[in-house]
Amino acid sequence: MIEADSEIIKPEILKAYVWLQTSDGSIQQVEQEVAMFCPLICREIQSGMGSSKNYPISLPSRVNPPMLSLILDYCRFHQVPGRSNKERKSFDEKFVRMDTKRLCELTSAADSLQLKPLVDLTSRALARVIEGKSPEEIREIFHLPDDLTEEEKLEPIKNTMDDPRIRLLNRLYARKRKELKERERLKNTEVEEDRADERSVDDLLSFINGSNEGGPFDTYGFADSKANRASKSKKKNRKRKDHHKAAPSNCTSTSNSTTASSDAVYMNKKESNELDSMRSNPTCHGNLSPNPCNGTKLHNIEDNTIPPAEDEFDDCDLDDDIDPALKEKIDREVEDFARRLNSDWPERMQQILSLGQERRTLQLTANGNGSLRIFTSLDESRK
Amino acid sequence: MAYSFPEEVLEHVFSFLSSDRDRNAVSLVCKSWYEIERWCRRRVFIGNCYAVSPDIVIRRFPEVRALEMKGKPHFADFNLVPEGWGAYVHPWIRAMSAAYPLLEEIKLKRMVVTDESLELIARSFKNFKVLVLSSCEGFTTDGLASIAANCRNLRELDLRESEVEDLSGHWLSHFPDNCTSLVSLNMSCLGSEVSFSALERLVARCPNLRTLRLNRAVPIEKLPNLLHRAPQLVELGTGAYSAEIRSDIFSNLAEAFSVCKQLKGLSGFWDVVPAFLPAMYSVCSGITSLNLSYATIQSPDLVKLVSQCRNLQRLWVLDYIEDTGLEALAASCKDLQELRVFPSDPFGAEPNVALTEQGLVSVSEGCPKLQSVLYFCRQMSNAALVTIARNRPEMIRFRLCIIEPQAPDYLTLEPLDAGFGAIVENCKELRRLSMSGLLTDKVFEYIGNHAKKLEMLSIAFAGDSDLGLHHVLSGCESLRKLEIRDCPFGDKALLANAAKLETMRSLWMSSCSVSFGACKLLGQKMPRLNVEVIDERGPPDSRPESCPVEKLYVYRTVAGRRADMPGFVWTMDGDKSLTFS
Repeated sequence: MIEADSEIIKPEILKAYVWLQTSDGSIQQVEQEVAMFCPLICREIQSGMGSSKNYPISLPSRVNPPMLSLILDYCRFHQVPGRSNKERKSFDEKFVRMDTKRLCELTSAADSLQLKPLVDLTSRALARVIEGKSPEEIREIFHLPDDLTEEEKLEPIKNTMDDPRIRLLNRLYARKRKELKERERLKNTEVEEDRADERSVDDLLSFINGSNEGGPFDTYGFADSKANRASKSKKKNRKRKDHHKAAPSNCTSTSNSTTASSDAVYMNKKESNELDSMRSNPTCHGNLSPNPCNGTKLHNIEDNTIPPAEDEFDDCDLDDDIDPALKEKIDREVEDFARRLNSDWPERMQQILSLGQERRTLQLTANGNGSLRIFTSLDESRK
Repeated sequence: MAYSFPEEVLEHVFSFLSSDRDRNAVSLVCKSWYEIERWCRRRVFIGNCYAVSPDIVIRRFPEVRALEMKGKPHFADFNLVPEGWGAYVHPWIRAMSAAYPLLEEIKLKRMVVTDESLELIARSFKNFKVLVLSSCEGFTTDGLASIAANCRNLRELDLRESEVEDLSGHWLSHFPDNCTSLVSLNMSCLGSEVSFSALERLVARCPNLRTLRLNRAVPIEKLPNLLHRAPQLVELGTGAYSAEIRSDIFSNLAEAFSVCKQLKGLSGFWDVVPAFLPAMYSVCSGITSLNLSYATIQSPDLVKLVSQCRNLQRLWVLDYIEDTGLEALAASCKDLQELRVFPSDPFGAEPNVALTEQGLVSVSEGCPKLQSVLYFCRQMSNAALVTIARNRPEMIRFRLCIIEPQAPDYLTLEPLDAGFGAIVENCKELRRLSMSGLLTDKVFEYIGNHAKKLEMLSIAFAGDSDLGLHHVLSGCESLRKLEIRDCPFGDKALLANAAKLETMRSLWMSSCSVSFGACKLLGQKMPRLNVEVIDERGPPDSRPESCPVEKLYVYRTVAGRRADMPGFVWTMDGDKSLTFS
């Protein structure tokens, strides 16, 4: 006879036990008071299960023996009523010190048993693991597929300027993309179409990227702007959610290009670190306004404890089609400008470096009346 | 197969990630995390309202409950952004009123907010709780009345620094009698008097009120009435802190303060009469934040007050404090983290107070936790800057404003390159820097080489050539916001570092030497940037291409060019050489 409400705990006299069965089939005998700490088990007990070895409580599949053992440790500690908050907190802190894999399993197991306090504890611990990490690091820790980034890397670059090198790059991307898809359908081993181009992908890419290591799938074909590398993790906006779904139809678009390669000209020429500084005209327009260097209106109470990185959302669907004549004109302008920029850098560099600390001694005195715009707002806010 | 938890568990894990950076990282991990994350994203921060459109946000994050957004560029605070430039919040409110009926929070900075927007907020969001309008404009007290009257669960109404057309103080009386939810009320920027009895009753019936910042019109004699009704206050902004000196006023005030055992922050203090300051002494030991930037009292009184506040962490004060006062501060307030010293007489030709670089040096020596500085002064030396840098290598924000532009080191007459160089070299965690004084390209070289964590840089009247700008753009890896005025920077550095601009939130350049031709080229080459030319002289193509533009504002965006530009702003586009708004 199983009476649901007669399972009163009799301390010291008789410890009641319940039987639990894990996904691998093994059955364990556990103190009832400990097991009851889990809401799921508690309900099962109340509906009459678990009182004998023949009628064990079947635990959810996510609870394997090692996880059960951990969970029972947790329950065993916390179900004791007398403990102080400090003790409990201390136990918890030590309890969650385990590798991430186990932490994940434990979270999962605790969730399936509806043991909320443990789910909270392990979730917080997992959040701490995630905090401050880049997407790549997170992916590695949790062994997650790089499915998002791979797709986006092969996304044809849409842009307003057409460049033959980038068209080639895009064709390569499209091909690579196709390759990846083919590989997934591993049942049929289709023969790849002949490549029109005999060169290897890497050869082509190094041609396009010049000597800079932009990496094979640098999203815009931008050469290695240090800034770009640093910002890769910020390229959230490159993720095109919709395009993933529409992938096949996009991958062979042809006239997509990017200004990237023309940018290569404008990229930091790190090797030479040259920059023409022709424009050294002193354009201090004799404007005597003192520096607003410190931004803020006088009483900007909110000091923007460095605000969090802004969210920028993907989904840019810029798909301008420029008329070819204009494209050509733009191309020519860019080439022109590039030439001008490149022409007299070496000589100018010497001049710049020798300029050194030559100082202009400008006798600027703060003109008190009115041209001190910076302080206008200061004044206003002090009304 | 990785750890497969159900979505709700993953969501639960994500719910413990508070920073936007972490949430952004998480959404980039893989497809399934992207999906899960977007559905459980409740808070969105948009640093530039034109970087993205309301539709895009709504489409990606369907369940947002809190929006924080910024509009105009920072230099708008100096009237460098002409009236009518933009940053209208109404399209956002309209879109969200349909898409986010459960929206609870809106926090805006430097945006144009109209009464219409406020009314729409009041009507659309049944569970609206928090409205913070920082340095905003465009609305009147009528709009506030709508909010007060309709937002049943309003917790925060904070109008800090906003320009409000003050039609009357009557708006406050629109809070219904059953409104008891207020936690924070900041009306310090308003001019007119509100009904004091309405205010009293409101304060009395809101047991969770923690922050109350009054406006100047609330007289000091009435302050005790409010304090007695809200002894749980944590932050108080007084009204005008003056009256004729009467012992009963003083004793009432002192008694009222003594009841407020939780006070941590004080502000207000317009028209301070020093004799009333000791009334606050009973709370000083608990004070961590003190804003005396309106208090025109002299150094001795300031020192007396400040030395009572041993636990002070943040102090905003006028330069009346002088070097001696700052020395006393350094001696008493060892927990000080943030210091702002504002000029009392910026327009005067001669210094009116004895505040020099020495004051800042003393504080940097005496306050081991100092990490954030905004300092206006009239003289500076490289030696002082080097000392400060060495004393406080954990500095995070350093903004120095030497009132006279291009002032050299007053001892050696050299540029201040070495001093600021020392700052960036020693303070490796520096995130924000504003510079002033005489500066050459050299300082930018130092910045480019050392300031790897710098996120925001403000430059004025500095540098010699494009090389300076190039150093910054190519060297500062973490740079997000760059604002420049009156510097001899032209096209080369800008174009050579065009790609860098996509990694930043924005770039502002005014009164520099960037030509119209370069702006056009930049706009054509970089479709994901909006290159806006602001020029009140008329269309840029009515002048030669080599002519420098007045102002240039470049920002990255996925929303394309904006549709609300006024007549003096042009976007440089790829498909047309010049587009009119």
